[in-house]
Amino acid sequence: MKQPLLALVELNKYYGDVHVLKDVSFDINEGEFLTLLGPSGCGKTTLLRCIAGLERIQSGDILLAGTSIKELAPNKRNVNTVFQNYALFPHFNVYDNVAYGPRMKKSMGEAELKTKVAEVLELVQMSGYEQRMPHQLSGGQRQRIAIARALINEPAILLLDEPLGALDLKLRKHMQTELARLQRKTGTTFVYVTHDQEEALNMSDRIVVIDQGQVQQLGSPREIYNNPANLFVTSFIGDRNIFPVEVLQVGDDYSQVRLGEDVVAVRSSPSARGALSADDEAVLAILMDKMRISCEQMDNAFRGEVVSIHYAGSQIRIEVRVAGRILTVVEYQKLECECQVGDSVFVSWEESGAYLLPQEDGWEERGL
Amino acid sequence: MKAKVSGFGIFYLSLFFVVLYLPVLSVVLYSFNASSSTAQWTGWTLDWYRQLFSDRVIAQAFRVSIQVAVLTALLSAVLGTFTAVISLWVTNRTKKAIQGMMILPLIVPEVALGVSLLFFFNALRLPFGILTLVLSHSLFCVPYVYIMVRLRLQEIDVSIIESALDLGASRRQMVRTIILPLVAPSIVTAALLCLAMSLDDVIISTYMSGPRSTTLPVHIFSMMRVGVTPKVNALCSLILMGTFLIIGFSQLITKKRRFS
Amino acid sequence: MKTWKRNLLAVPILVWIGLLVGIPMVLVVALSFLSRDHLGNIVYQFTLDNYRRVLDPIYLRVFLNSLLLALLTGLITLLVGYPVAYITSNLPPRRRALALGLIMLPFWISSLLRTYGWMILLGNAGLINNVLLALKIIDKPLPMMYKFSTSLVGTAYMLMPFMIVAVFNSVDKLDRSLLEASYDLGASKWKTFFHITVPLTLPGIAGGFTLVFIPALGLYFVSDLLGGGNTVFLGNLIHTMATRGRNRPLAAAFSMGMIALVLMVLSLYMKASKDKTGEGLFQ
Repeated sequence: MKQPLLALVELNKYYGDVHVLKDVSFDINEGEFLTLLGPSGCGKTTLLRCIAGLERIQSGDILLAGTSIKELAPNKRNVNTVFQNYALFPHFNVYDNVAYGPRMKKSMGEAELKTKVAEVLELVQMSGYEQRMPHQLSGGQRQRIAIARALINEPAILLLDEPLGALDLKLRKHMQTELARLQRKTGTTFVYVTHDQEEALNMSDRIVVIDQGQVQQLGSPREIYNNPANLFVTSFIGDRNIFPVEVLQVGDDYSQVRLGEDVVAVRSSPSARGALSADDEAVLAILMDKMRISCEQMDNAFRGEVVSIHYAGSQIRIEVRVAGRILTVVEYQKLECECQVGDSVFVSWEESGAYLLPQEDGWEERGL
Repeated sequence: MKAKVSGFGIFYLSLFFVVLYLPVLSVVLYSFNASSSTAQWTGWTLDWYRQLFSDRVIAQAFRVSIQVAVLTALLSAVLGTFTAVISLWVTNRTKKAIQGMMILPLIVPEVALGVSLLFFFNALRLPFGILTLVLSHSLFCVPYVYIMVRLRLQEIDVSIIESALDLGASRRQMVRTIILPLVAPSIVTAALLCLAMSLDDVIISTYMSGPRSTTLPVHIFSMMRVGVTPKVNALCSLILMGTFLIIGFSQLITKKRRFS
Repeated sequence: MKTWKRNLLAVPILVWIGLLVGIPMVLVVALSFLSRDHLGNIVYQFTLDNYRRVLDPIYLRVFLNSLLLALLTGLITLLVGYPVAYITSNLPPRRRALALGLIMLPFWISSLLRTYGWMILLGNAGLINNVLLALKIIDKPLPMMYKFSTSLVGTAYMLMPFMIVAVFNSVDKLDRSLLEASYDLGASKWKTFFHITVPLTLPGIAGGFTLVFIPALGLYFVSDLLGGGNTVFLGNLIHTMATRGRNRPLAAAFSMGMIALVLMVLSLYMKASKDKTGEGLFQ
């Protein structure tokens, strides 16, 4: 097997008594776009800073191409960071900002440097801005300079800490494509931190979902979206209705569960297969946009009462009360049946959109 | 939304400023009075200024004061900046210790400080003069530089410092290329304030002056004890002018290079 | 870098201040327990005499004078300075900057000059008397110099900017919506001021008071020039004892008394403002 570019081995990090990273281990492959995804405070930024060398780890190791870098100061590590607020040097112009790394490392002469700066500015489409000061640039432009300033060092890994967080929605979408293009063009390994699932799903080759300092799941966007490993990932990625059900019968592929008076058959998740048995309480998660409303009685559906209908652009969001719980259904076309608030309806779903998971203690209290 | 200031408020404020500056202005005014008494105004003159320039004692005291002030400002700027910058790295405990130490010279009344330094330098058999003056003045100047530079440092985004390190700068390079340029205006302003404070100090200087190294304020103080004389007025007015030059200079520097 | 290595950087500065403040202070303490011979030379013999003399009614009077001067200075600067700070913080930006500049400017102006200005204003042949005489409001000069109140005016004038800046910093941080909420709930302007504004700016008031009180104890040149030595204050006494009086042990004992007063005020300040290090005083 090929050696990973960066290997994280059982990292542990504490702030005082707070255990912020718990036995974090995974590999990063050369040339991939890897995203660390999780809610704020989950430890993803801390993890990034540990890789950059801006934070020390208490135990574990970080191997870059097989060599431990955990004792190295940030300026000795061949990784560079793009900070959330860009962190451009306010007293330098664009040229001097970009030239900063090579100058400090004295890695090239001024003539070579000039060509190199022109090259990376070209790469981020900022040629001609050499003499501008940072405060004369827009947010998106600063972002590009911050990336250029890091890329000129030809880092083995580029670390990006929520770089699009400060941009408005339209610019953010644009920069997403832009970042993906840059990554492909340079072939540099990107490690990208975000709390935005859409960003993660759009750009990444692989996603690491992190919560409470622990890796929850690692996989391609597709895997993570379709086969979330646990309740946290299920609730964090994709808009799902999540509610407890009673298990009647567990099969290899399908299980029978009951919500209120309705009994339905659903796909068992890999984690559910071994863990569940009849009479257990389990959790059913159904993607909102894979659900359908119909007025006629159907198999494998819940009977409920329409609580509200909300038109939001191309979407229609319908809230239905089923056995005392409110489920949200998102439809994109015209409704199959002309129901109104108070009507009795049936809620069904595409088989791939539903997922049975073992119950975990206290997940409802976390309000996910 | 702020409360509106009433007409009475403006009146009160104006009155306050009149009272605040009246003593200063009257000193300047009477420096041009031909009469040697403030009792009457007998016309304009520059005689008192002329007398000043021929006064050898004043010239000597002035030289001492300038030397002391410049040395104090330089020493304090270096020490204060150094302390503020290293505060970024030391542990919290040490930072607290530094802060406590820095506040000490500011809360001990100057008389007590002066007397204690007098005893100390006496015990060390240190000759009183420029050296003792600079050492003692820097004592109350360094904390000001430290405080002003630290306030500026706190305005600097930590990620700017981190990104310099991240991009390959060593700590030393980072301080030279990032921190010092960014805090430079504050250092200059603080140093100029030190200059002004050193030039103005009476209390501590009284104890620190040697036989041939009386500072200007100490000399002026002894002149003032005799009473009001136009020569003192002229001297004070000149000092005021010098002060305004310093302030103008510091304004120029802070205005010139300010970022975000 | 290792922790101890990082802390090593702090050594020069700690040594420097320790040397110039710490050791001299220890020296003062030691000296205050020593005796002297009739020539003023220090005799290395332990005694409590100096402290006994500090408590002597004549000297106790000096303490009271100084305490009174410092307290009144704090009070006057507060009463005069608070409105100035309050009004200034409410001014529109440009005027506000101007007013702030005018408030800060005196920090730069020689304190001797500012004291001397009052000698010119208040003297028997001074500006105020001249004007009053010319306007025939009085027929002979009002004696205004060399009194306790003259020292008080001079000291308060000298320290006024400290108070204003301290109060301004906390008035300016005041959340204006609280005041609006108070008006909205029907409180009058004055009620709002005393029930909301004053309590919320208490840290600033406490800080300003402390910043004014401490130097007021020791500004001997002001009371010397304006008070003419008619009222003896601690600063003058220590100064005289340490220099012409050649009684250094006694000067040391009085310095200890002065520092004790300062510590008292500081601890009160820390209680009132919840500022544990005293750092807030100088920001």
